Amino acid sequence: MKRNRVILTASAATATLLALTACSGDGGDSGDAAGDVTLQVVESLTNPARTELIRSQLDAFEKENPGITVELVSPPTDQADQKIQQMLQSGTGIDVLEVRDLTVGPFSNNDWLYDMSDDLADWKGWDALTDNAKAVAEGGYFVPYGFYGLSLFYRTDLVEKAGFDAPPTSWEELLEQASAIQDPSHNTYGYAFRGGANANGNVVAAIEAYVADDLDVTDAFKLEDGSTIFSAPEAEDALDVYFQLFEKAAPPSAVSWGYPEMVEGFTNGSTAFLLQDPEVIATVQQSTTITEDQWSTAPLLTGPSGKAAQPLATAGWGIAQSSEHKEEAVKLVEFLSGEGPATEFAQGNSLVPIIASAADDDFYKEGPWSSYVTMTENPDTYINVTQPRGVSWWTEWMQKADSEIQQVLLGSMTQTELLESWDTFWTEKYASAE
Amino acid sequence: MSGLSHGARAAAPRRRSFARRHALTILAFLAPAIVFVCWFTYWPMLQGARMAFHDWNLWDLTSTPWVGFQNFATVLGDPVFPVVAGNTILWVVGSLVPQLLIGFLIALALRRRFRFRGVYQALVFFPWAVSGFLIGMLFRWMFNAEFGVVNDLLMKAGLINAPLPWLADPKLAMIAVIVANVWYGVTFFAIMILAALQSVPDEVLEAASIDGAGKARQLFSIIIPYIATTLLLTVLLRVIWIFNFPDIIWAMTRGGPAGQTHIITTWMIEYTQQGNYGLASAIGLAVMAILFVFCAFYLMAMRRVSRT
Repeated sequence: MKRNRVILTASAATATLLALTACSGDGGDSGDAAGDVTLQVVESLTNPARTELIRSQLDAFEKENPGITVELVSPPTDQADQKIQQMLQSGTGIDVLEVRDLTVGPFSNNDWLYDMSDDLADWKGWDALTDNAKAVAEGGYFVPYGFYGLSLFYRTDLVEKAGFDAPPTSWEELLEQASAIQDPSHNTYGYAFRGGANANGNVVAAIEAYVADDLDVTDAFKLEDGSTIFSAPEAEDALDVYFQLFEKAAPPSAVSWGYPEMVEGFTNGSTAFLLQDPEVIATVQQSTTITEDQWSTAPLLTGPSGKAAQPLATAGWGIAQSSEHKEEAVKLVEFLSGEGPATEFAQGNSLVPIIASAADDDFYKEGPWSSYVTMTENPDTYINVTQPRGVSWWTEWMQKADSEIQQVLLGSMTQTELLESWDTFWTEKYASAE
Repeated sequence: MSGLSHGARAAAPRRRSFARRHALTILAFLAPAIVFVCWFTYWPMLQGARMAFHDWNLWDLTSTPWVGFQNFATVLGDPVFPVVAGNTILWVVGSLVPQLLIGFLIALALRRRFRFRGVYQALVFFPWAVSGFLIGMLFRWMFNAEFGVVNDLLMKAGLINAPLPWLADPKLAMIAVIVANVWYGVTFFAIMILAALQSVPDEVLEAASIDGAGKARQLFSIIIPYIATTLLLTVLLRVIWIFNFPDIIWAMTRGGPAGQTHIITTWMIEYTQQGNYGLASAIGLAVMAILFVFCAFYLMAMRRVSRT
C-alpha cells in the first residue's frame, strides 16, 4: 500500500515537472551539439504572399551559410507587434525581428534592440544604399527594407472628362478638380477622404506642404524656430482647403472611412482621387472595375510655395539585444539588405527601394511607379522629412488626432480649436521629453 | 431514517481518514492544475492589478513609478467617461433585451417537431461559431453607406430616399453595432432556452390545455416558471459577456466617430494600444469590480426568485 502511494506520488510529481518543463522556453539557446546555429526571425506586417517571399530569401541565406538554420515566425499582423514586444521583454525565442519606425523608439528605449552600428561600419553593401536608407540605418537599430511614401492615385478618364489636361499638383488644384468631378447622384465622388483610422496622416501631410519652407526636416512636426507646425498661420490655410475636400468632394460617410473603404472607393470606380502608399498599386492593378488605362499616379501635392514634404515611413530588419547569436544575426540582416534580396523584396511588396541602382530598373521607371521616380529626382520640391514616429506618445497622438478630426467633421470642434489642441499637445510633450 | 443517519455518521470519519492518509497523493495530482491556473490566470491578474497603481507605459519602461490611485482618478475625470458609461449601459441593455426576446421566439419555434428541424437548428446556431471580430468586419461592410447592402435594401424597400451614413453618425453607429450584436447573440439564447424548454413535460402542457389554458397562459404560467432558473442564469452570463465584448464595436467603428461608440472595454483597448497599461489596468479592475457587484446583487435576487 505504502509502495503504491510512493509510486503514485512520484508519477504525479513527474507529470507536474514535465508539464512545467514543456511550458518553459529553451532559454534562447538555439545552438545544437554539432555547433550549428538556429536563428529565429519574427515578422510583423504578415501576409501570406509576403511570408512566402521572406521564406524563399531565408532559404537562399541558409544555402549560402551552411550551419545556420533560420526559423520564421509569422504572427497575425494585428497582434504581431504585441507578440514581438512580449518576446523581447521575456528575452527568449527571438534573434532577428521586423522593426518599424513606429516601434524602434519604444523598443530601443527599453534596451531591447542591439545596436548594429559597429557591425554595419564594415559592411560591403553599405555604399549601394540610397541616402534615405543610410540615414535610417545610421541609427543602428535596423536596416530598412523599403519606404512607404505618399502619392496621388487618380482616374485619368474622370479628370479628362471634367475638362482638366493634367492631374492636380497642389492641394488647391486637388480641391478644384475633385469638386468638379463630384456627382453623388451617379455615385461618383471626387476624393477618397480619410476620416477614420489614421486620418491624421493626410491632414499633417497637407499642413507640412503649407509650411514646407520653414519646416524642420529632422522633425517635421516642428518649424525651424522650434515651434510646432500647428501653431503656424499657414496651418489654418491648409485645413481650410483640406476640410473643404470633405464638404465638396467626398461622401458624408467618409467620416468613418479608413484604409479599406478608401481603397475600395478607388478600386470600385466610384472615387477619382486617392492619397496612398505605393502598396496600393498592386491592389488597384487587380481591380476588375477599372482598367490600367483608366488610372495612374501623380506626385504628392504641394502647398502655396510649390513644395511638398514627403514623410517617408519605413520598416526593416533589426536584432534582439537578447540574441545569443548576434554575429549570425548580423550576417542575415546584411544578406536581406543586400542588392538582390532587398530589390526583390521592395518590388514584391510595392515599396520604394533602399538600393540606389534599383531606380534604373524599368519596373520603377514606367507606369504608376514613375511618380515616385519624379519625386526622388526632385528632392528640392519633394522634401524628404522625418516625423517623430518613434516617440513613446505616438499612438496616443494618433488616437487623439483621429478623434478630434472626426469632431471637426461632425461639427463639434472648429479647425482653430483643433490646431490649438494639437499645438498644446506637442508643445507639452516636447517640453516633458527635454 | 435513524439507520441512515447512523450509517452517515459512521462513514464520515472514514472519508476524512482517507483524505488525510492520501493527502500528499491528492495534492501531487492536483498540483499541475493548481500550478497552471496560478501561473496563467492568477499571476497575470495580480500583475495587471499591480500595473493599475503604477505609471506603466509599455513604450517607455525605463521608469514605472507607483502613482497610487492616480490612474483611477484620471479615468473617472476623463471627459469621455460619462459617454463611455452611458454607451456601456445602452450596449448591454440594447443588445440583451432583443437577444432574449428573439432567442425565446426562435426556441419556441424550434421546439415543435417539423421536417428538417435539425437543419434549421444548425443554421440558427451557426453565428455563435463565428468570431465576433469577423462578424464586426462583415457588418462594417454591410453598413457601409455607399457600398453596403443595408442601405441598398432600405432604398429598394422605399424606406429611405438617400443612403444613411450609418457608421459616420454617432447615433446611427450605436444602432448599427447593437444590431450586429443582437444578430450574433440571439443564437446563444436560442440554444439555452431550447435546451430548457425540452425539460418542460408535455403531459403538464397537455393537462393545462385540457383544463382550458390557452397558449399565452401556458407560456406565462407553466413554461416560463419552469425554465426561470435557466433564463436567469443565461441573462446573467450574457450581461457579463456583452459587458466584456468589445470585438464587434472595435471591428466596426473602433469606438468612433469621435469616440461616441466607445464602451468601457473598447476604451480599455484604446489605452493598451497607446501602451498605457496603467490606465488600461485601472479600467480592467473597475470592470471587474462592477461585474462583481452586479453578480452579487443578481444572484441574491435570483435566490429570492427561486425560493418563491
